[in-house]
Amino acid sequence: MDVFILLLEGIFVSFEPLNLGLLVFGCLIGLFVGAMPGLGSVNGVAILIPITFIIPPTAAIIFLAAVYYGAMYGGAISSVMLGIPGASTAVATVFDGRPLAVKGEAMTALTAAAVGSFVGGTVSVILFTLFAPPLAEVALRFNAPETFALMVMAFATFVGLGGDDVPKTIFSILIGLALSTIGLDLITGKPRLIFFNIPGFLHGINFLVLAIGIYGIGEMLWTLEETKGKVQMSKLSVNMKEVGRAFGALKKTIMAMNIGSFLGFFVGILPAAGATPASLMSYGITKQLSKNSKEFGSGVPAGVVAPECANNSASTGSMLPMLTLGIPGSPTTAILLGGMILWGLTPGPLLFTQEPEFVWGLIGSLYIANFFTLVLNIALIPAFLMVLRIPFAILAPVIFVLCVTGGYAPTQSLHDVWLMLLFGFAGYILRKLDYPVAPAVLSIVLGPLAEKALRQSLILSDGSMGIFFDMAEKPIAAIIMYIAIVLLIMPAFGPLYKKFFKKAQTT
Amino acid sequence: MSITNKITVKRAEIAVAVILALCSIALMIKSAENRITWNAEENMGAGFLPFYLSLGMLICTVLTIIKFVLKRSPQSKDDSPFIEAEAFKYIAVTIISLVILVLAIGYLGIYFSLIFFLAFYLRYFSSKSVLFISVFSLITPVLTFLFFEWLLKIPLPQGISEPLFYPVYDFMYS
Repeated sequence: MDVFILLLEGIFVSFEPLNLGLLVFGCLIGLFVGAMPGLGSVNGVAILIPITFIIPPTAAIIFLAAVYYGAMYGGAISSVMLGIPGASTAVATVFDGRPLAVKGEAMTALTAAAVGSFVGGTVSVILFTLFAPPLAEVALRFNAPETFALMVMAFATFVGLGGDDVPKTIFSILIGLALSTIGLDLITGKPRLIFFNIPGFLHGINFLVLAIGIYGIGEMLWTLEETKGKVQMSKLSVNMKEVGRAFGALKKTIMAMNIGSFLGFFVGILPAAGATPASLMSYGITKQLSKNSKEFGSGVPAGVVAPECANNSASTGSMLPMLTLGIPGSPTTAILLGGMILWGLTPGPLLFTQEPEFVWGLIGSLYIANFFTLVLNIALIPAFLMVLRIPFAILAPVIFVLCVTGGYAPTQSLHDVWLMLLFGFAGYILRKLDYPVAPAVLSIVLGPLAEKALRQSLILSDGSMGIFFDMAEKPIAAIIMYIAIVLLIMPAFGPLYKKFFKKAQTT
Repeated sequence: MSITNKITVKRAEIAVAVILALCSIALMIKSAENRITWNAEENMGAGFLPFYLSLGMLICTVLTIIKFVLKRSPQSKDDSPFIEAEAFKYIAVTIISLVILVLAIGYLGIYFSLIFFLAFYLRYFSSKSVLFISVFSLITPVLTFLFFEWLLKIPLPQGISEPLFYPVYDFMYS
């Protein structure tokens, strides 16, 4: 009952004129950002976060969450119409969305994507409302050792579940953590890693500089290389008859909606997973369980609904650990978490008691954003198609302008703009060589929090690392640490498992 | 053979791994300027964490190099160009123009630098008319000015062009 009242209060907060205006504006920008090839929620949120400094934190989080949400919806538009995913989260949408468009059924694909996103978003936000308060209550009992153990587990999930090259993944985590140590040491106050005695390094490296560099500059370079400024758009006829026919085709997608919604939410909670693997897994499982699995890939609405349901559901799921534990569930939520610190909030379970308006305003806004995004998405399809015709050669310099100004604004230092460019170029090259970049962004956000928790724990234990493994004194920290160790060594057993499995199959 | 064909994925993989290994060593040396030891009496030295994080980075790059030598990574067997010739033109011109943009910001100020950057970029990569490019290149910095200086009250760098903005500030704050 309490939850219901708090949720109602949250919905009222999101209906306040400033919040509602920003919510609708955020949905629109998110749809646009998601629809543009090469831009996704993480790019949109990273580039837009500097402009939220003038508004209250609740309005800022509502705006950015709406951008995040809208981008999940919008990603399908370019997947279907151009055959290029708007972001990695919409890769699986291309598998059946593009063949539908080629067959002349683009409207069916776009409607399936929008409705799938709505169902996934709604189911996940209900799950979020139910799970968040009890999880936050448990997390309130966490002290420094438990917090540090949780962060180690967040890093370990990238190694155990990320699926990327292990040394490259660990390198990405470590470089993010190393970058976060630049500046003044929080205990001794001594300057650390001040290269060439440049004073700009004394205030550390703002996570935004890395995030905008990698997801703004780096991503644009990547997209320029992929598209070379050229795109091929499918034809689309929009009329009520087509929309009606498209809704009719959704009757056969109930199973895909269920799989996408629930699987997406729980995969989204995991720090290394997020919306991209959720959508791919949802597509794969729906295909396996479908009676018409052979038709998948040739253009079936269920093949669009499954990934779209899952990516929206996962985006909400990834906010659960961000709000309750202070651990982001995806790169986008890592940036949102960094934003909370910039807005003067302390991420974690205390938010539920100290900033209920912020937390429940955000949760309430997700319900409202879901509805507005569905309506805007279907109503504005012709407008988005016009936007998609903008040549990339015009869009790219505008994004660069936003990156340069966004990199300068937080600290008003050209030093940060240079660093941002450096990270952008380096991120582009490293990504081409399969170095995952998301762990670095997560690490630079969590780095200072992890260091603080580690050093506080070691002061408590007189310098003994045993505090993290003591089942009698700190059982939660110990269990989390052991899970983290299992995750870290899991990739080592991958080849053995495959070898054994192959042997078993042949015998 | 063009330069883009010479830089294969294979060569890029090993070159980047070696550069990252050298950077990790440099970070370790830099970290050692502070105390890198840790014991119960003195607690953790300021250089302890960065030193061991850099050591971890070095171990990861060495593992990447070993995987390369043993041909265990996909990149170690990939002789295709790291970047295609046509794409290289886009990337190289973009990177150079961005570097010049940031250099120019420090001298000319952001607004005039943006005008030149946008005009050059659009002229080079798009087939739009001179009129479109001129209007677009002028409007974008004006909108940037209004957004940052008027709405957010965040002054952006103006370099030698700063005196030109005094009348505008007089108007805005009078």
